[in-house]
Amino acid sequence: MHAHIKQRIEATINNIAALPTIPEVASKVLNMVNDPEVSFKAVGEEISKDQAMTTNILKLCNSAYFSKGKEITSIDRAIVTLGIKEVTNIVMVVATKPVLDKFVIGYDLAKGELWKQGLLVGIVSKCLAMNIKRKDIADTVFTGGIIHNVGKTILAIYVQNTFKDILKEVTTNNRTFNEAERLIMGYSHQEISAKILEKWNFPEVLRAIVTYYSDPENAPEKYRMEVSLVHIANVLSLMAGIGVGADGLYHQISDKALETVGISNEELEAVFNRIPEMIKQVREIA
Amino acid sequence: MNETLINVGVAQVKLGSNPTVLRTILGSCVGICIYDRIKKIGGLAHVLLPKDTTSGQAPEKYADTAIPFLLQRLLKEGAKKENLSAKIAGGASMFKFGANVSLGQIGDKNVAETKRVLEELNIPLLEEDTGGNAGRVIDFFLNDGHLKVKAAGEEKNYYKI
Repeated sequence: MHAHIKQRIEATINNIAALPTIPEVASKVLNMVNDPEVSFKAVGEEISKDQAMTTNILKLCNSAYFSKGKEITSIDRAIVTLGIKEVTNIVMVVATKPVLDKFVIGYDLAKGELWKQGLLVGIVSKCLAMNIKRKDIADTVFTGGIIHNVGKTILAIYVQNTFKDILKEVTTNNRTFNEAERLIMGYSHQEISAKILEKWNFPEVLRAIVTYYSDPENAPEKYRMEVSLVHIANVLSLMAGIGVGADGLYHQISDKALETVGISNEELEAVFNRIPEMIKQVREIA
Repeated sequence: MNETLINVGVAQVKLGSNPTVLRTILGSCVGICIYDRIKKIGGLAHVLLPKDTTSGQAPEKYADTAIPFLLQRLLKEGAKKENLSAKIAGGASMFKFGANVSLGQIGDKNVAETKRVLEELNIPLLEEDTGGNAGRVIDFFLNDGHLKVKAAGEEKNYYKI
């Protein structure tokens, strides 16, 4: 364990200002749509207050992935045509892009790779949820998938300094990369992600996803399904080479996650087979 | 050097000539690099799965269809079969998975099928950097046919053509 690195990480995550920010409207909308008392009109008004966001949101509403055919020119129209949940998904894409669409040193991800992976994991998670007829959580896992790796943006610089030790821990003691991160630096990127989501005031289920996506067997029972879907989507993405960095495939496929989702080998391979088509969808919104 | 970098995506086949560099990122997929040492042209196929299950609808996705597809395109560009050789990389597996999870075997199956097809087509396989648990960024240089593999923070070069 590098005690001084642990101290520096602690100092960073305890300094709210050092963690990435997203437009306030994103957190507001995310919490508003979960409140049955809130009207769509109020959500629309909240979004429209942010001019820059609105422009980007409308652009995505009309992208091949989200569009329903008719051109959408206002947030109110978007809510009516696409539904409040889909509009929230789009808000999340627009809000998190500046945080994720960058070069990630340490993990050795070229600019855009972390972002592309987030989108792919979001799309695959959503697809897996639909496959098992859990439309009710499809939007949650879409957002959870997009941001599941956000902690890497902060931890990257420390991974850069300790990479050789982490990898040695992986290969000599048979630990996954995340376990080795925690042993060497005192923190894994999942814990940093949770801190960031706390700052963003994101709901508990999303915090559970980013915290446990690589070890879903430890996730709280009530969110284990959501966590497991993102876990599987992340595995498929890594295997396809999307978002695979210096940490490589030094991760697990959790039996517990496969059992929770109830997916067979054949179904898993069928989804993997469709990854190239889903990468095309990523390009439509990236 | 005046290189042009071309990124090859998952389930894509791309060709180029001197001084192009073909790049791709591999997890369990396999990158097949075929080079004509006289004409200095080559191609890279990035295959996702070993065998075609769609009866030819997506030939670039599977080892058993993408490699013949790449060969045909190279011959069309003027490559000569007797001057061709191959190098392959990729086919990694997840670090830990249950014995009955078939997804865990895909990397190995991709490598095995790739070798079978190359042999069937009589294309000599000169170098390979396959298996293990690292992701790989590979650069295939068409000026001299060498392959650079970056994995787990280290670089290796393969020069045989």
